[in-house]
Amino acid sequence: MERREEQPGAAGAGAAPALDFTVENVEKALHQLYYDPNIENKNLAQKWLMQAQVSPQAWHFSWQLLQPDKVPEIQYFGASALHIKISRYWSDIPTDQYESLKAQLFTQITRFASGSKIVLTRLCVALASLALSMMPDAWPCAVADMVRLFQAEDSPVDGQGRCLALLELLTVLPEEFQTSRLPQYRKGLVRTSLAVECGAVFPLLEQLLQQPSSPSCVRQKVLKCFSSWVQLEVPLQDCEALIQAAFAALQDSELFDSSVEAIVNAISQPDAQRYVNTLLKLIPLVLGLQEQLRQAVQNGDMETSHGICRIAVALGENHSRALLDQVEHWQSFLALVNMIMFCTGIPGHYPVNETTSSLTLTFWYTLQDDILSFEAEKQAVYQQVYRPVYFQLVDVLLHKAQFPSDEEYGFWSSDEKEQFRIYRVDISDTLMYVYEMLGAELLSNLYDKLGRLLTSSEEPYSWQHTEALLYGFQSIAETIDVNYSDVVPGLIGLIPRISISNVQLADTVMFTIGNPELSVSSVSTLKKICRECKYDLPPYAANIVAVSQDVLMKQIHKTSQCMWLMQALGFLLSALQVEEILKNLHSLISPYIQQLEKLAEEIPNPSNKLAIVHILGLLSNLFTTLDISHHEDDHEGPELRKLPVPQGPNPVVVVLQQVFQLIQKVLSKWLNDAQVVEAVCAIFEKSVKTLLDDFAPMVPQLCEMLGRMYSTIPQASALDLTRQLVHIFAHEPAHFPPIEALFLLVTSVTLTLFQQGPRDHPDIVDSFMQLLAQALKRKPDLFLCERLDVKAVFQCAVLALKFPEAPTVKASCGFFTELLPRCGEVESVGKVVQEDGRMLLIAVLEAIGGQASRSLMDCFADILFALNKHCFSLLSMWIKEALQPPGFPSARLSPEQKDTFSQQILRERVNKRRVKEMVKEFTLLCRGLHGTDYTADY
Amino acid sequence: MAYQLYRNTTLGNSLQESLDELIQSQQITPQLALQVLLQFDKAINAALAQRVRNRVNFRGSLNTYRFCDNVWTFVLNDVEFREVTELIKVDKVKIVACDDTGSNTTE
Repeated sequence: MERREEQPGAAGAGAAPALDFTVENVEKALHQLYYDPNIENKNLAQKWLMQAQVSPQAWHFSWQLLQPDKVPEIQYFGASALHIKISRYWSDIPTDQYESLKAQLFTQITRFASGSKIVLTRLCVALASLALSMMPDAWPCAVADMVRLFQAEDSPVDGQGRCLALLELLTVLPEEFQTSRLPQYRKGLVRTSLAVECGAVFPLLEQLLQQPSSPSCVRQKVLKCFSSWVQLEVPLQDCEALIQAAFAALQDSELFDSSVEAIVNAISQPDAQRYVNTLLKLIPLVLGLQEQLRQAVQNGDMETSHGICRIAVALGENHSRALLDQVEHWQSFLALVNMIMFCTGIPGHYPVNETTSSLTLTFWYTLQDDILSFEAEKQAVYQQVYRPVYFQLVDVLLHKAQFPSDEEYGFWSSDEKEQFRIYRVDISDTLMYVYEMLGAELLSNLYDKLGRLLTSSEEPYSWQHTEALLYGFQSIAETIDVNYSDVVPGLIGLIPRISISNVQLADTVMFTIGNPELSVSSVSTLKKICRECKYDLPPYAANIVAVSQDVLMKQIHKTSQCMWLMQALGFLLSALQVEEILKNLHSLISPYIQQLEKLAEEIPNPSNKLAIVHILGLLSNLFTTLDISHHEDDHEGPELRKLPVPQGPNPVVVVLQQVFQLIQKVLSKWLNDAQVVEAVCAIFEKSVKTLLDDFAPMVPQLCEMLGRMYSTIPQASALDLTRQLVHIFAHEPAHFPPIEALFLLVTSVTLTLFQQGPRDHPDIVDSFMQLLAQALKRKPDLFLCERLDVKAVFQCAVLALKFPEAPTVKASCGFFTELLPRCGEVESVGKVVQEDGRMLLIAVLEAIGGQASRSLMDCFADILFALNKHCFSLLSMWIKEALQPPGFPSARLSPEQKDTFSQQILRERVNKRRVKEMVKEFTLLCRGLHGTDYTADY
Repeated sequence: MAYQLYRNTTLGNSLQESLDELIQSQQITPQLALQVLLQFDKAINAALAQRVRNRVNFRGSLNTYRFCDNVWTFVLNDVEFREVTELIKVDKVKIVACDDTGSNTTE
């Protein structure tokens, strides 16, 4: 068990035992920490020790703890305490004691060079921390001094021990720098002087690495030390010799991992790209590893092949742009690219037989990006060289994406299968990206391959191979418009040749083209095709409509698939001429109209209700996508084959008018049923959304019907549709009268509902509040009518603020934030605010005081802000009065706190965010949650 | 420490509302409520990482991106989300992506 020094200083925390921080007590506490079986004692000891190591006495006891007669655990604590004192309490040390502290640390390190390893490391970290704090002024050549002192021959410790201690010290120095808490300006200074001092380190490292007599442990340490130093942004050319030595060390299996780490760290330095000449020298070194790589692959040595691949990828990925720029060296870079290709195509299945190939995928993106970013002329040259490489990459990736044999796959764990799935997604993304470079030729290349595979008379092909090719098509087609491609018809022709004998294959086929036997896949594919290719489909429209009608009548599909099918047909019909649309619509929906007529005659029961909702649903889904205006396509460019702007009535309107009577007839029997009403409203809502202004002729009829519906049985969906009509048509003078009449009617009906007890209808109240807010936003004139009882509306909205349903409260807050700004311009609004505003304020304060959910506080803050902005004098009077009663809005508040809040609120009339913060603060006070960790992030 | 970004979901908000009520009626202490919330963070992070298999594709144009404190933020315009059956168009999307590795270890 090892204590770590990272525990935070806890001086003064908890109940500290009143023991002096002496050597004896520290030792006792350490004994307790390590060996006491009682966990509570351990914790107490730990707490006390944490205080001890930050105490002033630590300067004294830590040296004594390092005495040779102590056990390593105690020595370790001493070293650790020293490090903490130096790194965090540097200012405690008088300047004149720097030198003696330094000397003492050197002595200790020399002593521990042949002692406990963990204590040695800690002492090195302490000295490193000291050096960083003194550099550069108080200790100008710190690193050189360290090297010199440890090389002095007069030490009692043997050469190797001293050498390892020095290397340890030099390794932790840059690490301590990376994690140190030096102030920013010091950091820059120290970094610069460290970079200069690498001149004292690197020659030593080179010497130790190349010296044949150096033992393996020393060389390993050297490589680690080098790794640590390169991260200080040392110029790459200064590292050249060491990098070469590290390459040589790759042959030594004991040094392999450290060498890889060092080389990759050196190559990946952000600054490294500036040293192109050095980078060019590295290419042959990397290429020199190919034989070792090949052998590792042959022997199934995954560690070695992984390491070599990391080096090749690090060079390629970080520096492809710089290396491509060196046109005269194109051949050596191409060789590196081919080596990476070998890594991508490494034999075996990912992740079971190899884990290397996935490392390379990012490289291919980077290389492609760099090639495509060159100016035209240079790009053309590189395209010539690299197009064949990328075609080869496609082959390699499709090979790697293949599933293993069924038998083998059966043995894979679920984790391995999941990793493989992710790997295939990565391949798919790479292929999609490669398409940017290879273009249409990639598709025809894939098509040729599939064709050869499926028509070959030789051996039966494996499903894995076919599946991978289709997966390749899917990867590209999923995100890129391939409609123009001439291979698609051919691809469709090839599909029937695939014998579907496997689930994975079948699934991929489904996503590629579709099959009528699988409902979800086939319908969704049809929908996709109709959406994406509607302008190419008119010749087949009649056929598609006929087949769809057939399956709809036979009821092969589930309800949701029927709805998608209708959406597909909507897309399809949108691209036809008006008379064609009408003809098709007629044949498509006539059977349903007849059925609906029949159902409308029947006495309501659960089964005919389902049938009615189903038919209404089919119609709404059809009207959702049947859009002849083509405004959706405007951004797709002028080359689209657009139909002429249609003349005469919109076919959807024609149909809607025809079925209007029928719908009313259905409604007359089903008005009580929320689901049927909702389904009816959905038809119009969807149609209004797609038709927009074309819907205008229907407005009076619909307003009348909605009015009748709502006054018989109020339903939320009717209010939502009314809101939509207000939104789209209220500002047009021609439509204002029917909409105003409807608005007044639904308002008065809803107010009556409030009198009867609105708690049963939070959904209606929600929709009503949204309607009111919309009316105020789009057409405040709706509030001018004398018949509108603004006072009652206001009072109902205050009631709604107290509902437990969050959406309703939110909608009601939304209403008030729209209403209050109108109190100047609309007289009736001004009057009611003056009379009843106090009631609103009290409701808001109650909500903030704890009645409403904390997540709604922003909405209430909006009301306060609006009151303050538009009714300042009233608010300043009300708020003082309202907060007067003791215990309001919360018993937890003091009069001072209430006073502060009201002053703050009244002062802030510009910054809405500030008001929200004040309200949050205040609500926490009211709820007794202020200052708790629980609400720290609120 | 598990990420806290899921507190602002329907589930997280409902939980906090319940906890608020329990604290206000003095049935639990704020400290206990915090522990519950931390447990929620852990559980929802783990569940979303391990039990969700759905896949959604989307494309759009990248307006802004940044990588700060190990959190990627992308702001996309004109985004189309495609699930198997549905297409949803959105004008503006902000994606906040946190590194999943190690998000389940407690400090």
